[in-house]
Amino acid sequence: MKKINETIAVTLMLLATVGTIIGVFVIEAARRKKFYTVELIARSPLNGNWYPKEIRIPLGKEVKIYIRNVETVSHGFSLPEFNVSALEIKAGEVEVVKFTPDKRGTFPFMCTVWCSNEHLHMSGEVIVE
Amino acid sequence: MKNIRAISIFSFIVYSLWLMASPAQAAEKFFEIKAKKFSYTPNIITVNRGDTVKIRLLSEDVHHGFFLDGYGIKTSAHPGMDGSLKFIADKPGRYTFRCSVTCGEFHPYMVGYLVVGPNSRFWLFAAIVLVIGIGSIITLNRVKKTNG
Amino acid sequence: MADKLFGLIDLNWRFELTKFKLIRNLFKSRWFPLLAIILNLFIFVIILISGLIGGFSAGNYNFGIMIVWILWWVMLMFVLVPIFSRAWCLMCPFPVFSDWLQRGALFAVTGLKLKGLGLKWPKALKNMWVMNILFLVTTFFSGFFTVRPLATFILLGGIILLAFLIGLVFEKRSFCLYVCPVSGFQGLYSQFAMAEVRRKDPEICKNHKVKTCYVGNECGYGCPWMLTPFNFTKNTYCGMCLECFKSCPHDNMAFNLRPPGVDLLVDEKRGLDEAWKAFIMLGIAMVFFLTMQGPWGFLKDWVRGASLTGYLTFISLHTAFSLLIVPAIFFFFSYLSKSFSGAKEVSLKKIFTNFSYTLVPLGLGVWIAFSVGIVLPNGSYILHIISDPFAWGWNLFGTRSVPWTPVFTGALGYLQGAVLVLFYLFSLAYGTRLSKQTYPTDGQAKRGWIPILIFLTLATLAFLWLYIG
Repeated sequence: MKKINETIAVTLMLLATVGTIIGVFVIEAARRKKFYTVELIARSPLNGNWYPKEIRIPLGKEVKIYIRNVETVSHGFSLPEFNVSALEIKAGEVEVVKFTPDKRGTFPFMCTVWCSNEHLHMSGEVIVE
Repeated sequence: MKNIRAISIFSFIVYSLWLMASPAQAAEKFFEIKAKKFSYTPNIITVNRGDTVKIRLLSEDVHHGFFLDGYGIKTSAHPGMDGSLKFIADKPGRYTFRCSVTCGEFHPYMVGYLVVGPNSRFWLFAAIVLVIGIGSIITLNRVKKTNG
Repeated sequence: MADKLFGLIDLNWRFELTKFKLIRNLFKSRWFPLLAIILNLFIFVIILISGLIGGFSAGNYNFGIMIVWILWWVMLMFVLVPIFSRAWCLMCPFPVFSDWLQRGALFAVTGLKLKGLGLKWPKALKNMWVMNILFLVTTFFSGFFTVRPLATFILLGGIILLAFLIGLVFEKRSFCLYVCPVSGFQGLYSQFAMAEVRRKDPEICKNHKVKTCYVGNECGYGCPWMLTPFNFTKNTYCGMCLECFKSCPHDNMAFNLRPPGVDLLVDEKRGLDEAWKAFIMLGIAMVFFLTMQGPWGFLKDWVRGASLTGYLTFISLHTAFSLLIVPAIFFFFSYLSKSFSGAKEVSLKKIFTNFSYTLVPLGLGVWIAFSVGIVLPNGSYILHIISDPFAWGWNLFGTRSVPWTPVFTGALGYLQGAVLVLFYLFSLAYGTRLSKQTYPTDGQAKRGWIPILIFLTLATLAFLWLYIG
């Protein structure tokens, strides 16, 4: 009886620690793979700017961009060519934008919220191939 | 015990008289508040109860907000895009206004004060503390006398 | 005649909760507090992950920061410490790894011999000084770990690592007793708590020759906090691990409800270390309010380390204020107390130390009022972060998009004022009694009490002015 209890306790302990860590990351990896095409991280230019700055996507397939603002100020997202935008992505929040590219070429996207003095340099490119 | 009662009744009367006294002529007050990480200028604004308060909020760096405790009203300002507020300061006391748009790591600590005078809230509690303090000494000495 | 608090509650009043079979069985089960610890460990792991992932992003949308510095802190100050004493220590996950290692088992009682080096803690450090200094040093970084997820990760990760390492080298819960930064103030303020772990019948303990509560037996370990459960009289160093409930063969341990503050009158292990803990807590409360809830931008720039000189100024002023200025002011009033009383034979140190315990209720009130001012405006963040703990766009409970919503901010000032007044009353009630303990005659006690009363009144007014004036 005592042996069983000890085993249960140790199992629970491992579940709470190692189990939680593995579980969290496995679930998140599966979720991203299933739902989103691209992950985009929003940061002011002095803190690293958009990451990645270049997004390559295929023509004619629906794209879901998963935008994470990892900073302490609000950012926005706009891709004028395809009329896609997220008005304000607050600090620590996540927004998802969807669109289907219907032409080839290189198109700029940029931040739409005054996030720092370098705000105007916060831009990147979408390349449709 | 009697003394405590006397003091409390006396202070209560003084306090209510003071509250009932008509507030200074209600005026319209205008403030231009500049918000910059992580403070407001001016950081403390003082008005009288009954005043109409107009606030223009300017931001000098990023998107900042302005939420007024107690009154529950808010506005926000982008650089070059001001915010404004108008309200009647009918609640006495000191109220904190705080940034309502995450603006940086110290955002939760970006605050300023609106003092709607007279600050009867503070004076009420200060009077209670003093009455208790003085009353407790008197009670202690009474006990001593009755005990002989 | 029974001594009654405010003439209402008998100080000797106790209500034994463990007389209910359900609660007694729970306390005697080895699953409790273990399951609570494992649950907290689970939450703690999520806190660490979110802290690491959060990095330098906004603290107000970070799970770790909000759970620790809003939810945990407020629970600690509102409920856990003032009502249940060291109930946090009961479920704290920090020492679980070293316990596991020392005992060689999580659940079972393996024997009386513990593993690890098991060294005795140095005698010179068997007091609160290490905790005092560590807690003060921790507050130097308050401008980082309350806003930067990574800083919270480093702080908490560092503490759990330290707990483990100290558990390897020193015996039992030396870490909890002498090092843990949050242990000291919980110990100090738990004297005020409305609950206690105590033995029931002293006769049973007297006749029970093998003190199993101290040495342990097959049902439970000997007191990990190195207390003597058969006769201790004060909450300060009891971590409520409940081992004594398990190891007592006579069911002679009780978990009681009691009037708040009765431990303040227990003259056991009183000393300057505990006195300084009370001063430091008052000093920190004032500095925290000025820097976090005050309107002065330059103070915020100091605290967040915008410039090195500003940051060093903050550290020096903060240290000087908490370690020197507050005690110096109190010392002045203690000196006045001695002169007023006319009691030449009572040492100034005794007056200073004894009366410092009047700062316990007041200090607790100051911290509760401070915490109200944090939780009412910012509590709504909790709804966001429990739904999206890693800022990955999860929505576990459907509350991710709840915006920041301050609640009852109109009542905030009244609440803070009322809390201060209430705890001021407790300070006075225990102060008059402490005065009687300190001075030999009634007359001296009454005269000597007046300067301390003035100090407490001024301190209360100062905090009142700071919070709502």
